[in-house]
Amino acid sequence: MSEPLTLAIPSKGRLKEQVDAHFAAAGVALKQTAGARGYRATVEGLDGIDVMLLSSSEIASALVGGDVHLGVTGEDLIRENAPELDGRVALVKPLGFGFADVVVAVPRSWIDVSTMADLDDACAAFAQRHRRRLRVATKYTQLTRRFFAHAGISDYRIVGSAGATEGAPTAGTAEAIVDITTTGSTLKANGLKILEDGVILKSQAQLAMSLTADWTETMRASSAAFLKRLGARLPA
Amino acid sequence: MPAFPTYGPEDIAALDEQAAAMLAVFAARGYTRHEPAMLQPAQIFVDRSGEEIRRRTFELNDPSGRELCLRPDLTIPTCKWQVESGAPYPARLCYHGLAFRHRSGDGPTQFYQAGAELLGVEDSAAGDVEMMTVAVGALRAAGLKDFEVKIGDLALFATLVDALDVPAQWRGRLKRHFWRSGYFETLLTRMVVGAASDAERAIDALHGLEPAELRPAIEALLDKEGDAPLGMRTREEIIERLTIQASDGAAPKLDAKVAETIKNVLDVSGPAPAALEQIRILTKSVAASMAKPLAAMEARLAALADLGVDPKSVRFVAHFGRNLEYYTGFVFEFWSRDESGPVEIAGGGRYDTLLESLGAPRGTTAIGCAIRSERLLAAARRGK
Repeated sequence: MSEPLTLAIPSKGRLKEQVDAHFAAAGVALKQTAGARGYRATVEGLDGIDVMLLSSSEIASALVGGDVHLGVTGEDLIRENAPELDGRVALVKPLGFGFADVVVAVPRSWIDVSTMADLDDACAAFAQRHRRRLRVATKYTQLTRRFFAHAGISDYRIVGSAGATEGAPTAGTAEAIVDITTTGSTLKANGLKILEDGVILKSQAQLAMSLTADWTETMRASSAAFLKRLGARLPA
Repeated sequence: MPAFPTYGPEDIAALDEQAAAMLAVFAARGYTRHEPAMLQPAQIFVDRSGEEIRRRTFELNDPSGRELCLRPDLTIPTCKWQVESGAPYPARLCYHGLAFRHRSGDGPTQFYQAGAELLGVEDSAAGDVEMMTVAVGALRAAGLKDFEVKIGDLALFATLVDALDVPAQWRGRLKRHFWRSGYFETLLTRMVVGAASDAERAIDALHGLEPAELRPAIEALLDKEGDAPLGMRTREEIIERLTIQASDGAAPKLDAKVAETIKNVLDVSGPAPAALEQIRILTKSVAASMAKPLAAMEARLAALADLGVDPKSVRFVAHFGRNLEYYTGFVFEFWSRDESGPVEIAGGGRYDTLLESLGAPRGTTAIGCAIRSERLLAAARRGK
């Protein structure tokens, strides 16, 4: 048998539930592969598709690296893994859920800072006064670098954050953050405010296609059949 | 050049020979060779160069979790050695070795650099001349005959911004961004229109207060935020910034005529003597302030002429500041051509704040240059 088309979907969490619901509404039923402990499945009625259940961030890097053909995950994670999507990943269909904004937030007590230009001034003054650069905590290193470069800010440094980024200014490990938010209430609860022009990306769940994976004619055909059920088409 | 080059016997012999010729020029002027470690702690580059360089720097962690990087240049580790060794000033240091930078696309990720650093010379004008002499000497020793020189001066623009009627809180912003074409023009336009953000509205509300009322008013605004965090920014820092901004009189706005002058000055680019004359005319309203940096630039031109560099091959570019944040004043680049077109062979300039930031006494001056060995070799071969 020829190599199957691989489709990666989230293995857990709210996003998994939403993907399941979306597939069900489109009449796409997944059948768990026996013995795979819920990490492998097939699509009922469509042959030649191997469904892998992975974490959202693994899906993003697998799409960029060409380890899977299709995947469902957050646009924020895809763009973080591939700042230049061209030639690497094609966003096939926005799915209408998993909405979240990637934003720049600073302490609310910084009443002299409300825009990226203000932040630029504050960064420069901070570097001069403290002889070190203002720290921005984030897990979105690539997105942050691009956005800050675009805003002309260079007097800062990124500190990696694996979780609970919004607590970094209170914990004292960073001055500002770049993080994802849906309602802004978590940021608010942590004494932070979003900069007026600090929305880096309005993200949602995307059905995406890897352009770096090996594609055969058979895979294209399976892919087209699958996408058709979801009301999407394979990009040319 | 491929991304991961292997130098064949002919190329490496030619590079070695070229390096020896350049190092001999440095040595003849009293520059002693230093070879910093290729693997460096990442922090020092991050703190001095900012994210722009960091994104091009190869970083790695050692098994104990230390953040390291492959040196993206040799200037910072060389200067750091000078500061930490406690060696006397003035100091003349030079190097030849590999530097590593990430490139998008297929460009080489490493290249050889030969460079010289002149540290702690009090007479800046003399330092400028010495560094140009060293750079031109090294290029010629490597066999380069034809080159063009591009010069600029960050101090000249800083002087202009200080002399013109610019709201105090925006001076730093203009000085920081003058080299970013596109962004800078937008910035100027925004300043002329007078943008209003939350922070600016907060400052508006503070205008007209007596100095004695100002501080309590700012404190009250801060207290309204309750226990919101500050990070390492202190309350005092915020109060200071707001005090300066609120003391600036009316809501800040940049005079359109001033913006026009800044724009016109930054557009100046061309053969050096004519370009300087143009700047003199454009800035005659603040002629007294501009006399000094303009005279300094003329002295550098005279020095280049003394070195036998054809004045017609020297271009002054007002917006030239190089995208390396530690430069503070005079900057220069030497250009030649290879098969694909013009190519930068060497660059350098004055960075009078770097040593202080590394722990040297305040005001320790520095000027240096770095020569790209592979490019120089290609250009010199082509010129034969």
